[in-house]
Amino acid sequence: MKLIIGYLYGDLMNIYGDTGNIICLKKRCEWRGIEVEVKNISVGDKLKPRGFDMYFFGGGQDQAQTQVAGDLTESGKGKVVREEVERGVPMLSICGGYQLLGKFYQPFEGKKLDGVGIFPAYTKASNDRMIGNIVIKPSAFSLQLSAKNKYAADSRQLIADSYLVGFENHSGKTFLENGAKPLGKVIKGSGNNSEDGTEGCIYKNAIGCYMHGSLLPKNPQLADWLIQKALEIKYEKKVKLKPLGDELENKAHDFAVKEFS
Amino acid sequence: MLKTFAALLLGKSIFFLSRLLGLGGGFAAPGFYALKIDPDLVNKLASQIPKQVIITGTNGKTTTSAMLAHMYRDHNQKVIRNQTGSNLERGIASTLIKHSSFFGSIREQVAVWEIDEAAFNNLAPKIKPDLIVFLNVFRDQLDRYGEVDSIIKKWIETIMKLPEKTQLLINGDDGSLEPLEKAGKKTESFSVHKNDFKGEKKSSSSKNSRFKTVNVKANALEGTGFIFQLDNCKLPVSLQLPGDYNIYNASAALAAKFLLGDLRNSEAESLKNFKATFGRFENFESANKRGSIFLIKNPVGATQVLQTVLPHITSKDTLLLALNDNLADGRDVSWIWDIELEKFKISNFKSQIFTAGSRAFDLALRLKYAGIAENRIEIIPGLESAFDKSLAKTSGRLFILPTYTALMKLQKIMVKKGIRKEYWKE
Repeated sequence: MKLIIGYLYGDLMNIYGDTGNIICLKKRCEWRGIEVEVKNISVGDKLKPRGFDMYFFGGGQDQAQTQVAGDLTESGKGKVVREEVERGVPMLSICGGYQLLGKFYQPFEGKKLDGVGIFPAYTKASNDRMIGNIVIKPSAFSLQLSAKNKYAADSRQLIADSYLVGFENHSGKTFLENGAKPLGKVIKGSGNNSEDGTEGCIYKNAIGCYMHGSLLPKNPQLADWLIQKALEIKYEKKVKLKPLGDELENKAHDFAVKEFS
Repeated sequence: MLKTFAALLLGKSIFFLSRLLGLGGGFAAPGFYALKIDPDLVNKLASQIPKQVIITGTNGKTTTSAMLAHMYRDHNQKVIRNQTGSNLERGIASTLIKHSSFFGSIREQVAVWEIDEAAFNNLAPKIKPDLIVFLNVFRDQLDRYGEVDSIIKKWIETIMKLPEKTQLLINGDDGSLEPLEKAGKKTESFSVHKNDFKGEKKSSSSKNSRFKTVNVKANALEGTGFIFQLDNCKLPVSLQLPGDYNIYNASAALAAKFLLGDLRNSEAESLKNFKATFGRFENFESANKRGSIFLIKNPVGATQVLQTVLPHITSKDTLLLALNDNLADGRDVSWIWDIELEKFKISNFKSQIFTAGSRAFDLALRLKYAGIAENRIEIIPGLESAFDKSLAKTSGRLFILPTYTALMKLQKIMVKKGIRKEYWKE
């Protein structure tokens, strides 16, 4: 089996160790004998449907984010990504990437940036810096939603297994619209907007959140959930991933959750 | 004037009292209270120093400042230099109070100010330096310093407000610094020929640098040699410090000394005797075992340190990495995932690696995902016991790579064990 991961704007959107998520996905596939290829998708590139089995979209600096917002629309990549997510292709987006996949981003000055519209959510610039360790409890909402996907039934447990832990650093406040499913409930930290106790958003197999950290190495259950989804959609069959010796991962995870929550 | 006198009196009294009562620490206190009486104190005191240079950038500030001050002192010229870490206004004020008489006069002819990326914008207009050295700019603790583009933008705004006399010296190999040339000040640049300098942006102007460093030769971990070229002159230099980044630091210090009108032929001799400041390549011995310490602060610096030491680590050596997440280290440890470990092909690394500090687990995980076998990694969060075990384990040399607060703690441990005689002072 083989996975091709599309790293959206990996050259521009890669702050706060977000690349660690790619390193983690790659290794966890390799350790199971699943071939992996990671391709950077940058400004000006064209995107074709069925070209990638999973997407990753990290955070970026303000200037890069403006450039990327424009390119997502102009190059038509935003539309393709949206259709692929509809098809069930998994995606992990963090911070800036998450914001650009919502409906819009409203900066302090200037006009709002159109988002790709995958997540029923929007983001507004704020004066608060929401920064620190964050612990969330993945919500039942998000699980039910994923369960609607015909392949998702037995992966529900995986994502619910434990809290997710990461580090957030943002001033944009994201608000979910009616019917949007948060990724989880904030146990410690600010989450989407530090007001409503939600963090992130999940739509089909696409996840958006504010959790750097890097997120996946310390939350291997989430990494495996993404890998499993990607394989199931690609090969159109149920996939059971070979368990890995995650002793170190679990120690790091449990230590962080205990320490921060 | 009366205000300044009162501020000085207060500042000096606090210095005196804290020494008398053995309060220790609190270097910022005299400056802090003195500034409450005279907010213009830094400007008033600093303006009488004939030559002032500010050294800023993400990496190399401490070493470059130390080298420059070292060269001056070798010529028996007294230099004012702020302590690393006290680069806020109160720290600068304290330094000035310490060096000034009760009536506010300062005898030193030269001041070398090490100032971080953010504090620069507040302090440069008060110090009004003759020269500013910009070493490099990388993304580092973005929550504190902001993004590279906005750092540069603010620097330009600040520079434009500075007096005519202020000159700039920039690292010509760091493309991110190029916009500074348009800030309307006389600007020179230095560059290193050989360079594998990897900046946030590619440089287009390094070929035109007035100061060129060529013939770079590395002598394992013992040191480096190079030729510093300026116009038609050549100065062969050898350093007792390893690492390409120290060649940049030395080149910057030499170019700065030239621009201040003080470069002499004997600088090479002076740099040869330069010893690293604490934690930036410090060697120690304990119970017949040898060790070396290299401070790591951010992904670029850590990658450079690893690039320097990894080729010389054998299976007899042990490695101790210590990661803390205190404020001075940066609360966010995700930067360890940006260290370019993958490029070193360390999967067949044979040494034992210990991870320590408040985020020892994160560090261990980073190593595992870089391809290091789990049985080579031992997690011991407590720094003292990690130090003991890693030292006991080595039959060669112990390499310690700590973050800032881990380094400070390490110093205490070493003093306690009698490995170091005294606390580090600058």
